[in-house]
Amino acid sequence: MTSLSVSHLFVKFGDRDVISDLSFDLAEGEIASLLGPSGCGKTTLLRAIAGLIQPSGGTIRFGSQLVGVSSVVLPPSKRGTGYVPQQGALFPHLSVAKNIAFGLDREIYSKSEISQITEEMVALIGMQGFEDRAPYQLSGGQQMRVALARALAIKPKLILLDEPFAALDAALRDELRNEVIGLLRKLGSTAILVTHDREEALVSSDRVILMRDGRVAQSGTPEEVYESPQSAEIAASTGDVLTLPADKSSTGAISYPLAAQRFAHSSRPSGYVVIRPEEIKVMKEGGIGREGVLTHIDYYGHDAMLTIDLKDDLLEDLADTSTIIRARVAGPAEFNVGQKVYLEHVGPIRYFSLP
Amino acid sequence: MKSRTFLNSFGLKALVVVVLALLLQPLAYLFIRAGEKSTSEILTLLTRQKTLEVFLTTLLLLVIVVAINVVLGTAMAAGLHYVKIPYPRLFLVASILPLAIPSYVFTYTWKALFPSMQGLWAGAFILALSTMPYMILTVLIAFQKIDLGIIEVGRSLGLSKVALFFRVILPQVRRSISAGALLSGLYVLSDFGAVSLLNVETLTVSISNLFKSSYDRGAASVIGILLFLAAAIFIAFETTLKGRDFETRGNEGFQNSIRRIGSPAHSLITVGVLGSYLICAVLIPFYVLISRFLANPTAVEVTDLITAAAATISVAALGALMAFALSLPLAFLISQGKSGFATTSERLILISHALPGVVVGLALVSFGSRLGSLYQSIYLLAFAYAVLFLAKSVASTSSALALVSPQLKEVAATLGKSRSKIATDVVFPIALPSMSLGVLLVFLTAMKELPATLMLRPTGMDTLATQIWSAASISRFNEAAPYALILVLIAAIPTFILTLPGTAKGTSASEKKVSYL
Repeated sequence: MTSLSVSHLFVKFGDRDVISDLSFDLAEGEIASLLGPSGCGKTTLLRAIAGLIQPSGGTIRFGSQLVGVSSVVLPPSKRGTGYVPQQGALFPHLSVAKNIAFGLDREIYSKSEISQITEEMVALIGMQGFEDRAPYQLSGGQQMRVALARALAIKPKLILLDEPFAALDAALRDELRNEVIGLLRKLGSTAILVTHDREEALVSSDRVILMRDGRVAQSGTPEEVYESPQSAEIAASTGDVLTLPADKSSTGAISYPLAAQRFAHSSRPSGYVVIRPEEIKVMKEGGIGREGVLTHIDYYGHDAMLTIDLKDDLLEDLADTSTIIRARVAGPAEFNVGQKVYLEHVGPIRYFSLP
Repeated sequence: MKSRTFLNSFGLKALVVVVLALLLQPLAYLFIRAGEKSTSEILTLLTRQKTLEVFLTTLLLLVIVVAINVVLGTAMAAGLHYVKIPYPRLFLVASILPLAIPSYVFTYTWKALFPSMQGLWAGAFILALSTMPYMILTVLIAFQKIDLGIIEVGRSLGLSKVALFFRVILPQVRRSISAGALLSGLYVLSDFGAVSLLNVETLTVSISNLFKSSYDRGAASVIGILLFLAAAIFIAFETTLKGRDFETRGNEGFQNSIRRIGSPAHSLITVGVLGSYLICAVLIPFYVLISRFLANPTAVEVTDLITAAAATISVAALGALMAFALSLPLAFLISQGKSGFATTSERLILISHALPGVVVGLALVSFGSRLGSLYQSIYLLAFAYAVLFLAKSVASTSSALALVSPQLKEVAATLGKSRSKIATDVVFPIALPSMSLGVLLVFLTAMKELPATLMLRPTGMDTLATQIWSAASISRFNEAAPYALILVLIAAIPTFILTLPGTAKGTSASEKKVSYL
């Protein structure tokens, strides 16, 4: 396993920059998620790292080895990356065992070594007894496991997973993800996981790299990107958000609709605060909280999202700003539509000034 | 998003250029031969009454046959797909079966029953019979691909069944009707056997006569170029006419849910039309072949039969393998995704569609004498087959290669495989079954080829096609029967393969079938 360093990378499709001036580093044994909407360039970045696409500028290093620059490119066959594309892409004409052994070079390994490694890999993914099955006889989850074993068998410097769980149904997906990530951690693999599922990115990686339009929008630990987003847009890409108008006084105190110090009615907002729905405490009894009327409940089972109309005359003249609050409460929700509720914001105040 | 770096190769492009050069060589020789004549000679030849008559006859034949095909072929395909009829699969297989019968066998079986048959309308009748399956099959596959949801939406919006057919269904299959028209039109332009037996002088017959009677290869070449241009213009016309490509969501697999029209009147009309076609195009030919064979089973020596069959098989196999080998570079290039070079090459390969057997035969004869020992060998004849069927071969080979997803190649690359290893360990093992099917179909098509075979076969070598021809052209029908029976029975094999449900995996299966035609 190795560390990875991508520096000022550019990739062009025709005249369009799909990746532009993108840099990040990954330490040995670190697992990173590339998170972003479709078309943001995350798969392209992964393929550039694997050597399947030629960058138009910048460098890619595995440890101290330069593998990709615009002029000289180490071909994918010489890079030693374990590439696991969507849905596994198993070779349909080869059995499970032969798929796993596919990358083991006969000039390097003896026949017995190859079968030994294959056996180890089969055991690693818990598929003993399936060695002679054809890919079409396997379930989606099993195919992913074999694809992973095939990638791991060549002792790759780096594991690259391109939305490996996207095609699986929800229950299997979580189970397999935990299993695969656990396995990669046990082996100390440096790995990159491409995903558009924000929960998957947060739960499975040491570091989340948020991508937007071919650039890194923010990179950090899951806690950092979730708790301290650098913009409302970034906050929205890792979870649900509530954006409320806010004002910052000369003393630095921030007033907003749910703040202890209420938003002054005469002032125009100088910015906004970004709040997560789970940071709002919803109470049935009046107290310190702000009063509102519960207008809608989205019931999810394990939790519920409440829509609350803030009864606040002060805000009515601010046409553009929302007086609708969405708050997450643990299910089963003991609330009824139409009832009065009292809200309190418990969490960090993330203030962003308007340009 | 295509990976541009690691699969693109200069060598592959160079190979494609070599193949194109080989393909265009016969055409070039045609022009060189024609160029040996003076301009005034060429003009006299082109403007004389006879040439104009022949050209008009050819054009008229083309228009009549294509018109019959468009109307009746589309109607029969619609009947097969939308109307409730007894034994639908039997009707389907039977209506494709005429593909196995070469036009000269059609003609000879009909002439055996009606000896006085001849002329333009007889030619149009026979050629319509032989080309109808092209139209039925292409349009039928297009019907099958129509999204059932669209039909249901049309019904729910209040369209009657008739309005639905004309306003919703027909516009979606227009491209396929056009493609079917192209296939049958090119068949008409290149046909030699039927028109020759029926005394219809078309361009192919003219070329053959000029070549045989006066050995005036220059004049034959001029008419050959005229025929080539006619075919090329026809292809170009069809390409511009068919218009925009509809994005259809294939829904194979849900076909069972289609509700067929069940009224007795509809069924009766459908069975009537299909039945009449099948009587003319299947029952009568087979009846004649079998009865003539039984009338005198020993009309032909068994050893002659075996020799002819062996010669047919060996030269057709050689030709099919050559076509396959020549198709590989371009097929690989196409399978790597669209590039300007690949598209241009693909269009140039289409030229092989516009080179009728007579023209290829003539061109190869013209420069064959410079080839020394290759001339009058089965290799030159096999090469002629390869040129004639290159477009078919490219279509089937590239669709076989398309079965190998680019992802598999990429995974193999990341697992340390070189490009040649990827080809041998991944691409070929996966594509081979489908490729061999394509080779088989070209092989069986080559077996039926007549005009180029007549011109290029080594002296003393007889194939099934030439034996049928020489017996039928002097009305010795009993002698032709055993050869024709063997040929038709062997050629029927791909017909059954084509109509087998699920021959190939994936949604592209039906398009693949069309590409084999």
